[in-house]
Amino acid sequence: MPEATSLRTLSDPGRAGPVSRLSRLAPVHWLALAFLAAALGFAAVAWATGNGFYLRLATEALIFAGLAMSVDLLLGYTGLLSLGQALYFGLGAYVSALVLRDVAASFWLAMAAALLAGALAGLIGGVIANRVKGVYFALITFGLAQVAAKTVYNTRALGASDGLIGIPQIRVGFGPLSLDTADPLSFFLLVLALTVAAYAGLAYLMDAPFGRTLAAIRANEKRVPFLGFDAWRYKLAVYVLAACVAATAGALYPMLRGFVSPELMFFETSGNAVITVIVGGVGTLIGPVVGSLLLTALRSVVGSWTEHHLIVVGVIFMLSVIFLRKGLVGALLARLGRRGDQGRAAR
Amino acid sequence: MADLIDYLQFVLAPQALNGLSLGVAVVLMALGLTIIFGLLDVINMAHGEFYAMGAFLALTLAGLGVGFWALLVLVPLLMLPIGWLAERWLIARVFHSRDRHILTLLLTFGLGMILEDLLKLVYGPNTLRPENPIEGGTEILGMFLPNYRLFLIGFGLALIAAVWLVVFRTGLGAMVRAAAFDKDMASSLGVPVRRVYAGTFAFGVALAGLSGVLLAPIYSVFPTMGRDFILMAFTVVIVGGMGSIQGAVVAGLLLTQVQALSSLYISPVWSDPLVFGIMVLVLMVRPQGLFGRLGHA
Repeated sequence: MPEATSLRTLSDPGRAGPVSRLSRLAPVHWLALAFLAAALGFAAVAWATGNGFYLRLATEALIFAGLAMSVDLLLGYTGLLSLGQALYFGLGAYVSALVLRDVAASFWLAMAAALLAGALAGLIGGVIANRVKGVYFALITFGLAQVAAKTVYNTRALGASDGLIGIPQIRVGFGPLSLDTADPLSFFLLVLALTVAAYAGLAYLMDAPFGRTLAAIRANEKRVPFLGFDAWRYKLAVYVLAACVAATAGALYPMLRGFVSPELMFFETSGNAVITVIVGGVGTLIGPVVGSLLLTALRSVVGSWTEHHLIVVGVIFMLSVIFLRKGLVGALLARLGRRGDQGRAAR
Repeated sequence: MADLIDYLQFVLAPQALNGLSLGVAVVLMALGLTIIFGLLDVINMAHGEFYAMGAFLALTLAGLGVGFWALLVLVPLLMLPIGWLAERWLIARVFHSRDRHILTLLLTFGLGMILEDLLKLVYGPNTLRPENPIEGGTEILGMFLPNYRLFLIGFGLALIAAVWLVVFRTGLGAMVRAAAFDKDMASSLGVPVRRVYAGTFAFGVALAGLSGVLLAPIYSVFPTMGRDFILMAFTVVIVGGMGSIQGAVVAGLLLTQVQALSSLYISPVWSDPLVFGIMVLVLMVRPQGLFGRLGHA
């Protein structure tokens, strides 16, 4: 959590050196590191046992974690509930699919095109959505996504309700090296690396003055102008940022599945992202990632013995809303924090 | 000239009347939503599932031999305690939280998910088709109109008028409006605010259930039936102004006409994006919607 980090760095700024550098790492980042280790361990086991199915499933979970992070930038850090974030996710997926199928089988070109499209659409959507606050913001984002989803659904050139199929599998070049998206392990590692990069970049940004200003907007938007900040501009900036994150996450989807469908833009996708953030932990960037993996695993497990997994997911979601306001990660951090305090008191 | 009259009589007017019968149904649902929002400041995302529950309850009871007219009374009565419990057990838990707008929205969203899956569990995913309770049709000005649609328009308009009268012209309505306007003051004047909240939520849920009974004979009954319909109802509530009864009525009738006529002139597939586009435009120009809020009325 950003608050915890800033308190820590403010309270002991003088101690330098490698040891205190590590100890300055906030508990939430330790959690992220533990998570990364677990993900690599999982990849090793899945590779050793030749289990491509679970690698693909985990890759999909990481892709949707990107969408959830984008929701959390708005909800957890800025206090804006977006019910239409799937708009940018779907946009990224369609742009990427079109580039890969019709322009060039280039990973970097597809990602860049999706990022650009996400930024442009985010700018337009942000200008519209940021005219209103609170529930109205939720509903206008919902309306915008609905317009976009229905338009895609009705456009024959985009495959209408069938979506786009036949997206080729590609090689991703890194200078002299390259890897294949058709190989489950390589693609999982690539998506994991991108997720870690997104986590690190966003975590840095949220700890920087930009993120502190967002926290101020969440706490009390009316007072932010008195501090000399233009709240509207910051809200637009974080909206565009969130759109870019969602669009680039979406761009990975056709590389994994080989197709895109209008369902990616529908309300279910946006709603699932919100559920993921709430269950995982709102206001931490690792929360959405943990939530996404947990819910994907849960759907896969519960889905194997009953098709009524919505009841299970719904109950877990409602219990989180009522009892775990900060989600699983928040509850875990609170426990760690308490233990840390006790430890310090004992010393 | 004759062509024009023919066109009006056989193309435009039936489409407009179809739009009107759908409009009345949408307004009934939007009414429940807007009353719940106007009083409790709660966006009830489960409203569509309560509507589906009403339709399924009607189907089950009809299977047990209950007549259509009894259903119009019985189903809303059965929905009342369900709505009451949902408010007491869920909404009230987070009602005093700082983020209660978002939390109640999320809670009702989760509730809707669970209800939808429960309906699937109990009734199966298949589409069921109830019998038409009012057979036949009537010829008006050379147009043949199904009797059930005419009944729906008449009954719906009467119901909307009744709701409006209760809210604005009775002591009970005054109590409810007082609780919405200033809950502390109302409470110190002896208004049982907690019970008013639960009662209002239950009332909104009962209205959703009643819409389910009314629409089941026209549209088929299936567990996800609330989804598309709720989008329209939300759009109506947003365009009309959250919490405003007049707004819901005006916007509901207007937008369903846009929908009906655009599917005639453009294409049915583009009527939804058009309606949602209008919503976005209205929100951009007038974020609070066309009319004010119930609490400020």
